[in-house]
Amino acid sequence: MILLIILLIPFLTGSFLFLFRNNSSIRFVALAASVVNLLLTLLLAFSASASNFAINWINFMGVQFALGYDGISLIMLILTNLLFPFILLAGFNRDQKNVSQLNFLILSTQSALIGVFLAQNAFLFYVFWELALIPVYFILLIWGGDGRRSITLKFFIYTLTGSLFLLFGIIYLYHLTPGNHSTDFAIFRQLHIPESNQIWLFWILFIAFAIKMPVFPFHTWQPSTYTMAPTQGVMILAGVMTKMGIYGALRFLFPIVPLGVLYWQNTIIILSLIGVVYASTIAFRQSNLKKLVAYSSMAHISLMVAAMFVQNQFALQGLLFQVISHGVTIVALFYLVLIIKEKTGTQEFQQMGGLKLKAPQMSIIFLIVVLGSIALPLTAGFVGELLMITGLFRQSAWFAFIGGTTMILGAIYMLYAYQRVMLGEEKSTHEKITDLKSLDYLILVPLIAIILVLGIYPQPIFNLVEESVRSMQNLLSPIATVVSAIVH
Amino acid sequence: MSALIFTIVLGIILLYLGFVKNKAILAPVAIAGLMITLFLLFKDWGLGSKYFHDMIVFDNFSIAFNISMVIITILIFFFGIDYYEALEFHVAEHYALMIFALTGAFLMTSFSNLIMLFLGIEILSIPLYVLAGGKKYSYRSNEASFKYFMLGSFATTIFLFGVALVYGASATFYLPEIKIFISQFNGHLPPMMLVGLLFILIGVAFKVAVAPFHFWSPDVYEGAPTLVTAFMSTVVKTAGFAAFFRLLNMGLLPLPVPLEKALWVMTGLTLLIGNLAALKQTNFKRLLAYSSIAHSGFIMLAMLSQHNTSASVILYYTFVYSLATVPIFIIFILMKRAADGSEELSIFRGLYKQKPWIAVFLTILLMSMAGIPPTSGFMAKYQVFVLSISQGYLGISIVAILMAVIGIYYYFFVMREVFTEREQSYPIQVSKINAALIVVCGVAVVMLGIFVWNLPI
Repeated sequence: MILLIILLIPFLTGSFLFLFRNNSSIRFVALAASVVNLLLTLLLAFSASASNFAINWINFMGVQFALGYDGISLIMLILTNLLFPFILLAGFNRDQKNVSQLNFLILSTQSALIGVFLAQNAFLFYVFWELALIPVYFILLIWGGDGRRSITLKFFIYTLTGSLFLLFGIIYLYHLTPGNHSTDFAIFRQLHIPESNQIWLFWILFIAFAIKMPVFPFHTWQPSTYTMAPTQGVMILAGVMTKMGIYGALRFLFPIVPLGVLYWQNTIIILSLIGVVYASTIAFRQSNLKKLVAYSSMAHISLMVAAMFVQNQFALQGLLFQVISHGVTIVALFYLVLIIKEKTGTQEFQQMGGLKLKAPQMSIIFLIVVLGSIALPLTAGFVGELLMITGLFRQSAWFAFIGGTTMILGAIYMLYAYQRVMLGEEKSTHEKITDLKSLDYLILVPLIAIILVLGIYPQPIFNLVEESVRSMQNLLSPIATVVSAIVH
Repeated sequence: MSALIFTIVLGIILLYLGFVKNKAILAPVAIAGLMITLFLLFKDWGLGSKYFHDMIVFDNFSIAFNISMVIITILIFFFGIDYYEALEFHVAEHYALMIFALTGAFLMTSFSNLIMLFLGIEILSIPLYVLAGGKKYSYRSNEASFKYFMLGSFATTIFLFGVALVYGASATFYLPEIKIFISQFNGHLPPMMLVGLLFILIGVAFKVAVAPFHFWSPDVYEGAPTLVTAFMSTVVKTAGFAAFFRLLNMGLLPLPVPLEKALWVMTGLTLLIGNLAALKQTNFKRLLAYSSIAHSGFIMLAMLSQHNTSASVILYYTFVYSLATVPIFIIFILMKRAADGSEELSIFRGLYKQKPWIAVFLTILLMSMAGIPPTSGFMAKYQVFVLSISQGYLGISIVAILMAVIGIYYYFFVMREVFTEREQSYPIQVSKINAALIVVCGVAVVMLGIFVWNLPI
């Protein structure tokens, strides 16, 4: 029951707010709802007893409205509910049009995302998966920047194409289930699909996730969308929606088409590693701060995808840890990009420099976030990336070597960006700039605290995912031994 | 049967009500009459009564489709209250002709004899030829009427020729007997029979605007008065597909291989042409015409994926499609009025700022047409895909899915206009009854998506 409450709180609050025209207390109500949701989620995470919820929805299609969770869902759920209060806070004291609609859309996205992570039925998963996209589409379309009309449509069509292939895959799996067909994940997991079918089914399912994450070469929607998106939209996209792709892949590919995964494993890892190097290189060449952060996000996600397909304990733990760490870091980074834009009126490096002199505290916070992003020891990023690269090393030293370039190249372009924004000579346009306001501290300090605390003491996250990591590993390992036995 | 007779009487009453000068009583009488029809239809549920030497069979299939068509007609009449108020000329004929067309549609869902099907098609079509020319002084409307009449009668002739050939080969008009006749040949039909059946299918395909027999539909949709267009793209389409399905299901299954191939090609073409041509449209009515062709493709897919739930899926699909189409046409009429008769997509620009609630509901309706969850349009497409994939038609299903993406593209193209601001948007006026109906349809479209049904018909 608590799952249903967590699912519905944001949506119901949002719908309630939608009825009001722009009222000053709307943001507070929205924030309060998301904070309550966060508290409930933490309660769920640290309570011993499991909770689930199921009622029949469409009997003749074998669809149940079933909610439940395991360690992986829980990580995603915590991340979502942790980030949304900050995303909502980022709208405070800012001049926005149609506040009630915006908050409605943000809260609806939150509900849909929670639904994606809790759904125990593939059909339900798909419905929430699509539902999450619609409010984001409108956030981008109505509150986005230049060129939003064509960019949002491209983004929408791109992601929907993937989704419809996923739908095809779900229906195909549904029709393979025995007896009265069902779309339950538990039943999907028991299917034994011949390898020749798994090989193509893998791509049908994977494309949706690959576009969402995005994996090279399905990333072309991403840079323009991130650049044009309003800050809250890009926080949702980069912070949480990329994780939908990772979650979907973990939920669908490994349990249902393990042979397909084994067949394509190296292909995907190589594609992801190309993505790592590609995104890092392009990030380095950017003259626009927001674009640079967008490409850096793609580089980090690509490394996570590579680690996901290695499928050993280190890589998986690192991946799930990095899910939290990347989400928190990227939201903090995009928030800083927003403040810098507000203060200097630009995102171009050419017109920036010497911001440290006017805003020393901002420069310190920016530095900490940058260091977290480039995975310096004692930050959360370090724990995640180190584990993932260790995992990659077990597969192949070359993979680890190329994966490791995210850390090196990341350090280069992020520090270079820091240098160009904060250091150097002060620009004349910076006359009236002031340091951070209390609202900015309210957002940035907790995020930095999470980055540092998890960097020093990562154990709580590992405890949460321990069991899921073990079961994920078991999915592939017996089959792997069987396959290698056949080969030899 | 009582429903059929009552509806004909209702049409005649409406025709005579034209002598009364008061236009305002027409719609209430028509709506009340159709409510009674609805009741009479419900009463017949499960009886499976047969009439005229079994030429008409009112089984659950026909009753379910009739109910769906009557509900949509009632909806159109409700919208008609406001629509016809603005018109000068006599409108009693319009109501009466739509009712007569509806009786033709009743025959098309309940025939078990080819002659009855022919009568149904003709009774449906002749009022439509007149209705399409409803705007007497409009060049376009006259063109639409003439074109529809010419091509329509040509298609009917081909159909009738097909019936003659089938009779020549099998010496019967009764579908169950034709089925027995076909089954004797083990798939190798005599050429006369094959050509006859093909001609019959072409005649029906023309009525539902399946490619390559779709060329009339964009022109006719564009030229006809918008409310008539709404009627044609919903009720007429439902009747056409009900007839098509009944024809296949009662008489032709399992389909002879050449016919099956022809139908699959038609399905593929319809999906491709409908969606790809819709991409290029800037006129909203033409866009909806092509989108209607595209939806025909999906319904064809459900029809050819023979399974015992096919009929229910087609019923669900046509009903939720109609339920979304009618209010979209109405919102379009209101926009068109405000924009001085322009039919371009750009007239929707700025709607969100001006009438946010109408914009929200238009969005829901368009989402249903595009097939985005949790609307019923998505559930309809989902069921079609379940049918086609579980029957093993993977290739065409992939094509259909790609075409669904294109569909989403052009519906969202319209939606994007709605949410784009403009300096001076057209001041649209929405009467209370229209607003209420738009809201009802929008809510129904979502509710039908959440509470999906599957009738054993």
